[in-house]
Amino acid sequence: MRISTTRWGIAALVALLGLAGSAFSQDDYKPGPDAERKDGVPQGKVTQHIWESEIFPGTVRDYWVYVPAQYDGSKPAAVMVFFDGGGFVNEKGHSRVPIVFDNLIHAGEMPVTIGIFINPGVVPPDREGAEPRKNRSFEYDTLSDQNARFLLEEILPEVGKSYKLTENPDARATCGNSSGGIAAFTVAWERPDAFRKVVSHIGSFTNIRGGHVYEALIRKEDPKPLRVFLQDGENDLDNLHGNWPLANKQMAAALEFSGYDYKFVMGTGGHSARHGGAILPDTLRWLWRDWKELEL
Amino acid sequence: MNPIFRFALAVALAIPLTSRSQDMPLTQVLIEGEDWEVVAEGYGFTDGLCTDAEGNLYFSDVKDGTAVYKVDLEGKVSEFIQDAAGISGLQWGADGKLYACVARGRIVVSFDKDGKMTQLADEVRPNDLVVTHDGNLYFTMTPTSEIRRIDPEGKMTVVSSGDVTKPNGISLSPDQGTLAVSDHGGKFVWAFRIKKDGTLDAAQPYMPMRTPVADPEVAKGDGMATDIHGRWYVTTAMGLQMFDPTGRMGGVIAKPQDANLVSVCFAGPDHAWLYVGCGDKVYRRKTKTKGALFFQAPRATEKPPRD
Repeated sequence: MRISTTRWGIAALVALLGLAGSAFSQDDYKPGPDAERKDGVPQGKVTQHIWESEIFPGTVRDYWVYVPAQYDGSKPAAVMVFFDGGGFVNEKGHSRVPIVFDNLIHAGEMPVTIGIFINPGVVPPDREGAEPRKNRSFEYDTLSDQNARFLLEEILPEVGKSYKLTENPDARATCGNSSGGIAAFTVAWERPDAFRKVVSHIGSFTNIRGGHVYEALIRKEDPKPLRVFLQDGENDLDNLHGNWPLANKQMAAALEFSGYDYKFVMGTGGHSARHGGAILPDTLRWLWRDWKELEL
Repeated sequence: MNPIFRFALAVALAIPLTSRSQDMPLTQVLIEGEDWEVVAEGYGFTDGLCTDAEGNLYFSDVKDGTAVYKVDLEGKVSEFIQDAAGISGLQWGADGKLYACVARGRIVVSFDKDGKMTQLADEVRPNDLVVTHDGNLYFTMTPTSEIRRIDPEGKMTVVSSGDVTKPNGISLSPDQGTLAVSDHGGKFVWAFRIKKDGTLDAAQPYMPMRTPVADPEVAKGDGMATDIHGRWYVTTAMGLQMFDPTGRMGGVIAKPQDANLVSVCFAGPDHAWLYVGCGDKVYRRKTKTKGALFFQAPRATEKPPRD
């Protein structure tokens, strides 16, 4: 179900700009030239929508759809889904994905890709004065196929009404930070028939809701045909759920052990989106390096 | 502000990667050096713990008891209501009545100030209950997988059927907009939205409980409580499990003794003590937090102090 409102967007943007300014650790990572507007590079369009889910009953959320200027509807586009999408779609935020996509698609370094930026759901209160139930942890940290089904049965069909989206799982990617990072992995782990490219920044492969077991699962299961990019920082969290740098090193070691197509970048940052955002253009070049061989 | 606009802000504010409303270790609750201490002993099976505005504790002995017992702020134990056997759940309402699930008698009742009992429902299988400030009573029917509601006019309806395998403990968020129910036959605490009309929707297995290695699918979720920071507490086979308001487990507080841990509430001075029913005894332990009291008006969830 789609609802449109513009006031919503302004409120969310104001709040996001505020958050973008609050760094969680000391580091010098900044968006680079690929995240700046360049003359002569055509700009894609971003539209904003609201989704009421049935797979996550009672939840409402924002999502944004980026359509590159090069998309003309003559053939299907590649797909990349971003969790905590509001932070990624923000052109002044940590990753500035619409600008990066414009530049990389224009340069032929990634396919014509529809970006879908999804915020986590909340269950809005019904009673006067009550607060929303936040559903982010449930949706992102849980090891199940529920979030994959949410994409495959709700969001992709809805976006697919307006745009041709590829059915080729090698041309469908997920990306997220923190719990969104493990969510990106879980979607592809559960449904490699539908998503095979994963980007996880400061991924929560820790015991928030059991995600610490992936490194063990990866080692003893048939390798899945996934391409996985992991970023973390040496000063990332060490808390009741686990130790993020150790967990990400374990993930990388498990992917290496089982022969996955993966890349692991360990920086010096903390639990921050800045490093992952700063290197995102190169991450996307690596992720999509052989995109011209893909049938969309 | 219109509702959608207000909701939008809430979503945007939910985005930070770390925040004080999630990732809550037990050190936010427990005090170093404080341990469980015995409050009352010599019972068959303590259950039904609840508190009043002053912080007195009330409990039942569902196996051998003949009364509702009271522990006052000085620690003195007395019989508060006599001739009340087989009670498994107790809660005070905003109307000054004490509401009870009489498991053995298969009735839900209230006691007025003079101890006079009024029957609210019969031929039911009540286990535990919660009463909202506006007078809706929700109770669990563990054997039939139901949650029922008795509205302020006394009309009973089924508000959830089959969502929770063996619904047992039941509590509210501080704002009284979310109802949580523990599963004695599964491994989740379920969350429901309470609608304006008192019905429930948006059911979700929101909190995954830790389970025994030997019985990984059954946590034996039982009595529940909530604190002013929106943390949920649930008694289980593994101990007293604490969850943050986003459903992430904060930790497991060890049982005071190797017996059935089935009931929990905040009571005592400032409602800052965790009380539990565990086997033949009632125990308490001082905390850094305070209980949410549902006979008082709904209140916003307070952010916990910085570590």
